Amino acid sequence: MLIAEDDPIFRRVLESWLQKWNYRVITLENGLDAWSILQQKDAPQMAILDWMMPGLDGIELCRRIRSQQPGHYKYVLLLTAKGSKEDIVAGLEAGADDYLTKPFDVNELRARVRAGKRILELQDALLSVQTELQFQSAHDHLTGLWNHGAIAGLLQREAQRSARMGHPLGVMMADLDHFKRINDSYGHQTGDAVLREVAGRMLASVRNYDYVGRYGGEEFLIVLTECTASALAATAERMRACISGTPVATDAGPIPVTVSIGCVTGHATGPSFPKGEDLLHAADTALYRAKNNGRNRVEHAPETRMASQSHAAAQ
Amino acid sequence: MQLPAPEENVSEKVLWGKDEAVERLGGDEELFWELCEIFLQEYPKLLQKLGQAIAESDAVAVMRAAHSLKGELGYLGAVEASKASRALEHMGHEKNLSEAAEMFASLERHLAALHRAMKVSAGATR
Repeated sequence: MLIAEDDPIFRRVLESWLQKWNYRVITLENGLDAWSILQQKDAPQMAILDWMMPGLDGIELCRRIRSQQPGHYKYVLLLTAKGSKEDIVAGLEAGADDYLTKPFDVNELRARVRAGKRILELQDALLSVQTELQFQSAHDHLTGLWNHGAIAGLLQREAQRSARMGHPLGVMMADLDHFKRINDSYGHQTGDAVLREVAGRMLASVRNYDYVGRYGGEEFLIVLTECTASALAATAERMRACISGTPVATDAGPIPVTVSIGCVTGHATGPSFPKGEDLLHAADTALYRAKNNGRNRVEHAPETRMASQSHAAAQ
Repeated sequence: MQLPAPEENVSEKVLWGKDEAVERLGGDEELFWELCEIFLQEYPKLLQKLGQAIAESDAVAVMRAAHSLKGELGYLGAVEASKASRALEHMGHEKNLSEAAEMFASLERHLAALHRAMKVSAGATR
């Protein structure tokens, strides 16, 4: 709670009451000091501003607060000795949420501050729901990884970015071997536990700025930015070994799990860069080869040829 | 400061509606006396500003200083002094200071009486 009031008596009254109601209070004697506090990142969410102040008055302060970058809403209570309708309208139009006419009494102040608090709490609730929904809409509920739509979008975006920056882009398609058997023998709950554990091991095998998504049931798409072919090969092998190295501990006992991985590195060749779909297709083809060649292995797409083919196809 | 005798016809009640002011503060007497102390420290400065503004015929400054005094006095329940400062604020607003000196003298008298009353009451309470 910020209080900007030049009159020492009203400043003390407000401070005393609000502290009694357990608000954290910052008191300031003029509008300019208040403005510099309100611009800070962790500024108070509620402000009581006196209309008449030296330097910057309450009305101008309201206008500045409202012209700020959209962020957390600030609730503004304007304090005025003026009682005329025109003044009140001017205050509200400048962006005040509510006003209080001096001399106010303790009950009125408390009621108005509570009203403001309700608005701010409502906004907090909405923002946290929004954040939660944003997360849910982009993430896989079971594993917490990016979901199909999100990882596909990320691949597109990173392919475009890599093309522009001239960086290589690594793409892996990973599929658990014989996952159906785990589900069939131990049940879906155990199958889910295995998927969660494998997801964790995948995340542990890549850099924290790489993207790991659950592309389908037991299929994962991994996008590695600024990743050379040799770094990609090392990462893929590390991931395969990490997953097959230790059986997954479940309620049904330890279950050995292996994974097959198809890899491709996108490179710029001449003016063209492979599109996200091309990379996806190449990684998928490599994954098929890994399955056909006995599973629990990594196969690589012939990247340079793939890139020039896509270049030729684009012409 | 030379303190003129309070006017006979101004009763303590009219001079100072203390109970009302305490009620406005939710019955918090302690806070009320703290505010009176702040006021006793602050008002001479405002009074001086106001007197100077009248002497210099600065209507805007008269309005500002009288406005602040009016707010504080009204809040502390000093009805008569608040009325005098409101009149001065109005004169400043209208840019007509012809009767300002007279009203200022009246305000000074009210404030002196209030000052004494506050000192006495504060002494009696504490």
